[in-house]
Amino acid sequence: MNLPSFIAKNAFRNKRRSLLTVLSISFSLLLLTMLISIWRGFYLDEPSPDAALRIITRHRVSLAFMMPIFYREKIRAIPGVLQVVPMNWFGGKYKDDKPENMFAQFGTDPEEVFKVHRDWKVEPEQLAAWQRDRAGAAVERKLADKHLWKLGDRIVLIGNIYAVNAELTVRAIFDADEAWQALLFNQTYVEEAVPYAKGRAGIFAMLVDSPDAVARISGQIDEMFKNAPQPTKTESEKAFQLGFVAMLGNVKAFILSIGLAVVFAILLVSANTMAMSIRERTREVALLKTLGFTRGSILSMFVGESVMLAVFGGLLGAFCARWLLSAAASSPAMGGFLAGAKVTAPTLIVSLLVAALVGLLSAFVPSYHASKLKIVDGLRHIG
Amino acid sequence: MSSMTEDLKKVATGTRSIVQARSISKVFRRDSFEVTALDKVNLDIAEGEFLALMGPSGSGKTSLLNMIAAIDQPTSGELLVLGENVFRFGDKEIARWRNEHIGYVFQTFNLIPVLTAFENVELPLLLTRLTRSERRDHVMTALKLVGLEDRVDHLPKQLSGGQEQRVAIARAIATDPTIILADEPTGDLDSHSATEVLEILKRLNHDHHKTIVMVTHDPHAAAYAHSTRDLEKGMLLPV
Repeated sequence: MNLPSFIAKNAFRNKRRSLLTVLSISFSLLLLTMLISIWRGFYLDEPSPDAALRIITRHRVSLAFMMPIFYREKIRAIPGVLQVVPMNWFGGKYKDDKPENMFAQFGTDPEEVFKVHRDWKVEPEQLAAWQRDRAGAAVERKLADKHLWKLGDRIVLIGNIYAVNAELTVRAIFDADEAWQALLFNQTYVEEAVPYAKGRAGIFAMLVDSPDAVARISGQIDEMFKNAPQPTKTESEKAFQLGFVAMLGNVKAFILSIGLAVVFAILLVSANTMAMSIRERTREVALLKTLGFTRGSILSMFVGESVMLAVFGGLLGAFCARWLLSAAASSPAMGGFLAGAKVTAPTLIVSLLVAALVGLLSAFVPSYHASKLKIVDGLRHIG
Repeated sequence: MSSMTEDLKKVATGTRSIVQARSISKVFRRDSFEVTALDKVNLDIAEGEFLALMGPSGSGKTSLLNMIAAIDQPTSGELLVLGENVFRFGDKEIARWRNEHIGYVFQTFNLIPVLTAFENVELPLLLTRLTRSERRDHVMTALKLVGLEDRVDHLPKQLSGGQEQRVAIARAIATDPTIILADEPTGDLDSHSATEVLEILKRLNHDHHKTIVMVTHDPHAAAYAHSTRDLEKGMLLPV
C-alpha cells in the first residue's frame, strides 16, 4: 500500500455513496462538456480550409426575401471569386410532418454546386448522371442511409412554399460533413413548374481564391448592391451559420449561465458528500494524527479523495458527452445544427480541470477543519 | 520554568527515566465550569518499565496517557518524555516524534475498516523512509509477534475482537517505538482475548524491552505490570 492507494480505498469505502457522487458529477460534467463543445463549435472552432474559402450572400433584410439571379454573374465578375452557385430553399414535405422526415432541400445548379463545395465527395459518373437528369436529385449519404434511398429511387417532395410537388429520382449520393445533410436538385425543375420562381435566388454560395480575400470580396458585393432594390448581406459561411444560432437568442449568455449553474450544483453536491464523509471519520482523523500524520497530510488526503471522485466522474461524463454529441451531430433529426460541436482534447482537459477544481473546492473547508481537529476531541467523537 | 526543564533533563540522563512529570495539571473548561482532570501530578517512569495506571472513571488516567503521547497538553507543570518537552514542537515535528517514539493502543482498536490487517499495520510506516520491502518486513515481524501472520489479508470485520486488538498492537509496534501506551486495551474484550493481549504486552516488555504504560481499571490486567499507580480525582495516590 502507498498513500495514493490509501486515498483511493477511502474514496470508495462507501461504494453506494461514492457511486452516486460519481454519477451526479458525471451527469453534470456531461452537460458542461456538451455546453463547452457547443460553444467551441459555434464560436471558437476555425472552419475547414475549404469552408474558409466560402462566402454566402443573402438579402440584406431577411432570408425570406429573394435576390435577382443576375447578381450571380455580377458577383462572378469580382476579382477573386472562383465559383458562384444559387441555393434555393424548397421546404417540401416528405411523406408527413414528422420530425424524422424533415431535412434540407435546395434547388441549385448541378454544374457548379460541387465546384463551390469542393470538400463534398461524389462519384464522377453519378454527378454526370445528376447533371443530365433535370428531375434528378443528389442526396447526402447519411440522409440516404437513414431513408434507405439508393440510386434510382423515386422521392416525392410536396411543395409547401412553391405550388409544385417535386418528383425526383436519386442520381447521386455524396459525402459531406454533418452540417450538410441535404437533398439537392436542379433549380430549373422548380422554375419550369412555377413561373414566379424563375430568375430568383435565396442565397448565393461562392468560392473565393484566398481566405484573406473573404472580407474584401464580401465588402465589394454588398457595396455593389447597396442601392439596389434588393441589397445584400455577405459573410463567411461560418458567420452565416452563426446567424441561425443567433436566431435562438443570446446563446452565449444561455450557455454561460447554464454552465455556471451546473458547476455550482455539483459543487454543492460534492461539498455535502465530502462533509458527511469526513464527519463520519472524525475518530479516524484522530487516529491518523496519533500515528504521526500531520495537518498537511490529513488535508491532502481528504482533498485528494474528493478530487479523485470528481475527476472520475468528470472522465465518465466527458466520455458520455463525446458519445452523445457524436450521435447527435450525425443525427438527421438535428439537421446538422450540432455539426461543429465535438468533444476535442482541449475541451476534455477543460472539463477535467473543472471537475478537479470542484473536487478541491468542495473538500477544502471540511478537510481544513478535520486537519485542525484536536486528537483528544476526535477520539471522544461518537459518530 | 526553564531551570526546571534543565533539572529534569539532568535527572533523565542520570536515572534513564523516560517520562518525568512535575506538578502537571490539566483543567478542562466547559462554558463557565472548570473540571480538573489532573491535579499537580508528579510521576517518573523508567525505561523498560511496565506501569499500570489505575483508578475509577474520570480520575484522569487517560488524560495523563494522552499527555505522555503528546496528543494533549498540560495546563500547567512540566512534562518531559524521552528528555524532550515535546509541546515546544511544531505540528510536523510533533507528528514525526509521535510516529517514531510512541505506539498507542486504544480500547476500541480504531482499525481502518477498509484496510486489511497488513495495511492497518503498515499505515504508520507510510510516513517513514522505509522501502516497500522494508515496510513488509516490519509489518510481518509485528504481525508474527502478535500471532496473526496468517491473517494478513483479513479486513477488521473478518476478525474477532481479540484479533482486532492484536492487529492494533502490531500497528503500535510496527515503527519500533520506545514507549507503548495502552488505554484500556482489554476493556472491550472477553477474558480469554484479554489474557492473550496482556501476554503480548508482557512479552513486548520482557523480551523487547518496551516501556509500557497501560491504563486499566481491571486488577487482573494490572497484575501483568511491574508496578501500579492509582489516580483518584486527578491526583496520583502515594505508592
